[in-house]
Amino acid sequence: MAEAKPQATEPRSSVRSLDDPDIFVEMPATIFDAVPPYPPRSEREAEFYHLEDGEMLINLGPQHPSTHGVLRVVLKIDGERVIDLDPVLGYLHRGVEKICENGDWHHAISNCDPLEYVASMFSEAMPVLVAEKLLDIQVPRRAEYIRVLAWELNRIASHALFMGWLALDLGGLTPILWGFIERDEIVEMMAALTGQRLLFNYLRIGGVNGDLNHDFLSRLGDWMGRAGEQIEATTRFLNENEIFVRRTKGLGVLDRETAIRTCMSGPPLRATGVPYDVRRAHPYSVYPELEFDIPTRTEGDSYARYLLHVDEVRESIRIIDQVLHEMPDGPVMGRIPRLIRVPPGRAFIAIESPRGQYACYGMSDGSDQPFRLRIHDPSFFNLQAVGLLMPGHLIADTMAIMASMDPIMGGIDK
Amino acid sequence: MRQRGDTTEIRVAPQHVAEVMRTLREDEHFRFEILADVCGVDTGDEMWVVYHLWSVESPNWLRVIAEGLPRDDPRVPSVTFLWNGAEWGEREAYDMFGIIFEGNRDLRRIYMPPDYTSFPLRKDFLLADDAARSPGEGFRHVEQTHPPAENLRRSVVRRSKVS
Repeated sequence: MAEAKPQATEPRSSVRSLDDPDIFVEMPATIFDAVPPYPPRSEREAEFYHLEDGEMLINLGPQHPSTHGVLRVVLKIDGERVIDLDPVLGYLHRGVEKICENGDWHHAISNCDPLEYVASMFSEAMPVLVAEKLLDIQVPRRAEYIRVLAWELNRIASHALFMGWLALDLGGLTPILWGFIERDEIVEMMAALTGQRLLFNYLRIGGVNGDLNHDFLSRLGDWMGRAGEQIEATTRFLNENEIFVRRTKGLGVLDRETAIRTCMSGPPLRATGVPYDVRRAHPYSVYPELEFDIPTRTEGDSYARYLLHVDEVRESIRIIDQVLHEMPDGPVMGRIPRLIRVPPGRAFIAIESPRGQYACYGMSDGSDQPFRLRIHDPSFFNLQAVGLLMPGHLIADTMAIMASMDPIMGGIDK
Repeated sequence: MRQRGDTTEIRVAPQHVAEVMRTLREDEHFRFEILADVCGVDTGDEMWVVYHLWSVESPNWLRVIAEGLPRDDPRVPSVTFLWNGAEWGEREAYDMFGIIFEGNRDLRRIYMPPDYTSFPLRKDFLLADDAARSPGEGFRHVEQTHPPAENLRRSVVRRSKVS
């Protein structure tokens, strides 16, 4: 005789209304209620929160130390295997785009600063470059060189931290300290140049705020003699470390077609073999005059992404070397008025940040405030790909794979 | 030098977005394979959805604007069948503007809490109104210093002069 099925395995109806009194029905204490306290808002959410036999949900974050910020990830697991995951964003949402619409164009620079707080020289460039394009002004050549110098230094600082973070998420405590040694030297250098350690507020519409000073140049000259040595040492330590290699090689593999369809950019995209670097694809500033390569790899796994970061550090040092040799004399700030009324129009610009294509779409209605300033953050789109490549991996590897994507929650949550 | 190449622009009606984007991506003359950005815009009169595409064969971006979405019921077909990465971009545009992307399987709020009712990046969005509608019944400092009636008088929708 057929037994009645137990209650818990009955399929739930996918869409329920808030008016339905049964939605708040008390569950037995032994059963974990996976359904959030509101009806599913989309097809995908209903599918995600419907659990088959043996599956369960587990929350990582929002205060988990290795989520690199306040990211909450709901994992659907079967034993140790991840079946699906649902990143929940918004814990750091500040409404930067709305704030920018309510201040003038100069305010937007410092408002955009904390978006990518590890390399904020890139995010603060967004309103600057859009306004310059709309105003159709040319930046003095020395200012362009100083910008490239600051960008590349910031890229090295960010990549140094990335390597440390990745190793830390795999359980290695030492490389993060080495990463911070390299990063701290650059951060001190930037503090001498801009007056701030992290949120620089250094770029201006029409140039940069202040010329290179003696303190910065002496620190930079000191550092250039041993540039990247700390990172090379970390590389020698990690590249042949068996634990590190076995926990990154072959894990989190993305193929080229998926990466393009997922709108990825930066090292995760180039690790799949697509040589898309905004510095070459859409040249800006003085990058067309500089010699550097776009390192790519074809494996598309965590290890390839890690190796790409190391290669990019080498290219950045090459760029800094050229910039220092070719730095022209002259003003660092164009002659522009204090109160800028940007002519009506629309502009789209993109630059290559350590995490990929940092883009901005600006609209002006002729007033001194941006009408719309849309910031496109690469981590936002790269994080989305984590949902595609995670199924089938172990829980212990989720954070390692996520760390190899190098997400920064400040930019993701805006 | 300044970055160039975003002057090419296509304006389409929302019902043609799907086929225009499919042609741009898959036709061998265009091959716009990379979706650089997708975002919503509220011009004050109507809603836009702005796409930026890039093809390996040209250094220029192509801007596609789906224009003429009514502010009370903005609807546009989703492009997630071409780029699944557009899913979160469209979720963000829905969250901030209330634009419905038909065909997006995961169209829910991405930044704001699930019980939130406003669309913050709309031009008629006011913080005091927002506080009054929120689950906390509006006991916020902002609202007490500015009475709602005064706020309503000041709530002039900023209209776009861009065309």
